Amino acid sequence: MKLLVGYTADERGAEAIELASALAADTAEAQLHIAIVLPASAPFNAVYPGSDHGYSTILSAQVDQWAAQAMTLVPAGIKATVVAQSVPSVAEGLIDLAQQYGVDGIVLGGRKRHRAGFFMPGAIANALLHSSPVAVFMSSPAAIDTLRNASGKLRRLTAFVGDRPGAKDVVELSAKLAAAHAVALRVVTLVLPHEVQEPEKNLDAHIAETNGYLSQLTSQMNLEVSVEVVVGRNLDEATAQLSWQDGDLALLGSARLAADRRLFIGPKAQRILGKLSVPMGVIPKPGTSN
Amino acid sequence: MSQDLRQDSHPASTETGLHEKGLSKGTVGVLGLVVIGISSIAPAYTLTAGLGATVAEVGTSLPAILLAGFLPMLLVALGYRELNNAMPDSGTSFTWATRAFGPMIGWMGGWGLVSATVIVLSNLAAVAVDFFYILLAQLTGHDEIAELTTNLWINIPTTLVFIAIAAFISYRGMNATKVFQYGLVAFQIAVLLLFAIMSFTSNQPFDRTPITLEMFNPAGVESFSAFAAGISLSIFVFWGWDVTLTMNEETTDPKKVPGRGATWTVLLIMALYVAVSLGVLYWAGVGTTGMGAGNPENQESIFAVLSGPVMGPLALLMSLAILSSSAASLQSTMVSPARTLLAMGYYKALPTSFAKISPRFMSPSVATFATAAAAALFYVVTRLVSENALWDTITALGLMICFYYGLTALACVWYFRAELFSNARNVIFKFLAPLIGGLVLLVLFFATAIESMDPDYGSGSSIGGVGMVFILGVGVLLLGVVVMIYMRIKQPAFFKGETIKTYQPIK
Repeated sequence: MKLLVGYTADERGAEAIELASALAADTAEAQLHIAIVLPASAPFNAVYPGSDHGYSTILSAQVDQWAAQAMTLVPAGIKATVVAQSVPSVAEGLIDLAQQYGVDGIVLGGRKRHRAGFFMPGAIANALLHSSPVAVFMSSPAAIDTLRNASGKLRRLTAFVGDRPGAKDVVELSAKLAAAHAVALRVVTLVLPHEVQEPEKNLDAHIAETNGYLSQLTSQMNLEVSVEVVVGRNLDEATAQLSWQDGDLALLGSARLAADRRLFIGPKAQRILGKLSVPMGVIPKPGTSN
Repeated sequence: MSQDLRQDSHPASTETGLHEKGLSKGTVGVLGLVVIGISSIAPAYTLTAGLGATVAEVGTSLPAILLAGFLPMLLVALGYRELNNAMPDSGTSFTWATRAFGPMIGWMGGWGLVSATVIVLSNLAAVAVDFFYILLAQLTGHDEIAELTTNLWINIPTTLVFIAIAAFISYRGMNATKVFQYGLVAFQIAVLLLFAIMSFTSNQPFDRTPITLEMFNPAGVESFSAFAAGISLSIFVFWGWDVTLTMNEETTDPKKVPGRGATWTVLLIMALYVAVSLGVLYWAGVGTTGMGAGNPENQESIFAVLSGPVMGPLALLMSLAILSSSAASLQSTMVSPARTLLAMGYYKALPTSFAKISPRFMSPSVATFATAAAAALFYVVTRLVSENALWDTITALGLMICFYYGLTALACVWYFRAELFSNARNVIFKFLAPLIGGLVLLVLFFATAIESMDPDYGSGSSIGGVGMVFILGVGVLLLGVVVMIYMRIKQPAFFKGETIKTYQPIK
């Protein structure tokens, strides 16, 4: 598995490398491209008085030092390179590098920010969650703690799916990842009664049907798979019913309105992300030609 | 990017070839360069801040002094360009003067540059705040709002907020776009020209003063000290122009664009300055009462007083032009001292924490906040001890610019000492121009410094019988000497020449 790490030389960057290493470990062609992005120079913002002040030289030396530090964070057995590049926008720069290296995903470190109960990814994560052509994995300090408790190894994947056709793609991709790491896969669907027509009459049947569909979907897989259908009055309540263990990774799909082979996080997924304190990944919508 | 061989002590870069430097090659043309130059000068701001103080020194010879002030600036800038070409990766007074003259003088060169920019930051913030309240008053029709700025309990906190916002924007590495710069520059020029036209076409000038050729005669100034003070102030109004000469790789044609851009910028700026200063003289005269430009009451911010009577309701535009140009300059100027402090920290001339770069925003962190804190402190002290803070600040700034500019110009001559006479070009650009420019500026520095000890100098504020401008200008430099001695004892590596070697030409 090849991954691009959006690296900053602080705790968040170190956490991103930790998550990326856990994702890549034991997979074929485990390789990290660690990206340090620098702002593009803006000639229309001339620094006056004194122009450059030797800044680019000092910054270069600093970036070299950061690059060397980043390399020491990567565990043995995983190939890693550092790339430092000036980009007009961080998100665009990361996407360009991801395509250039043909990676399977972009990994970001970050903090969870809550605004009035809503999960707000950082500006960069947010831009990627609405445009990345590859999967985006995110860590937060709390999430990394759960990974550390599992000695930095993934132990289970949890794929969130809807009861819609898109479920198949998310399950298949998650299964591939689970197989690569030889860990169990849990497939989860959140059912909100108010979204079911005439819930008093149909809810039980709907749950049974969903359970059956997902069991059938996963039955052919050579994997340890479990299916959970959780009911709650709203997303928060439903999400809260799930139990988590150390070494868990949550995976979510893109919204239906995402362009083919692009990632676009929907409002539901965003709401769920806000409630999770394990590392998570969002998968782009597969192309229809696939 | 070339690491020039002459740079014998560039940072210990591991040369991993990992990164490309962020220089965008060749996107700035002549027009773009003119825009960059004018936005660095920020004419709406410099005129309101500098015109009054200059009139106080030279009276009706204002246009002559404005034009004459450009000459030393030009001579020094030519030397700057040579140093910048020889050491493109280190370009600042601190490293240049250290390589030429050694650590002590180099340290003071850095301190002079940082002090000058810190002083101008506090002045920019103050002007921005004044016009912020004036604009609010004009927008709401409540004249009393404009008076709020004279209340220190409101003025000082507002100014500190302006400085804090600028520091934060600068730290976050946010940049103004090309379109914004073009718009701001065009707006400033248009409003200033409008002011000039309206003052000449005004029906009732306050003190109609006929325009004479004598106004253009620099010899018309009464005394040498007034001439010296006037020139050191008028250097302030061109401060920013030399940015056009140091931009090379950013331009579409490094051989032609910088020279043409610099020429057009200075012609445009001179035309603008002459038009506005003649307009002010024609409309207001140099009388010391009422709205006369010689009235000490009017001198700290000439347009705050004149734009209303001259432009009527359109004075709103002037307020907006000055507010936007000073606020934009406040933010962009913040980068300069922060980078010099960062370099001084990096080369161990200051505590190494100054060299910290934010890994998220790739900007100086400690150095940026130290700059903002220094500007804030300077402002609060000046505002509390001086009766006419802005005026004294600008005069002290002129002094400081003369100091670091003069020093850097002489650094050019000394740095190139082995090759000064090797060809005719060198004789002019590496020897004569920077030597004459540097000497003129240092003479102005000493003349103005001595003059400013007089308690009546500048706005007439004084402490213990010594003029406020002297205390602000020379005091800040002496403070630098104290800090330097402290650093020398505590952290001697830089002063032993271990981090930056003094350049010795091969004989």
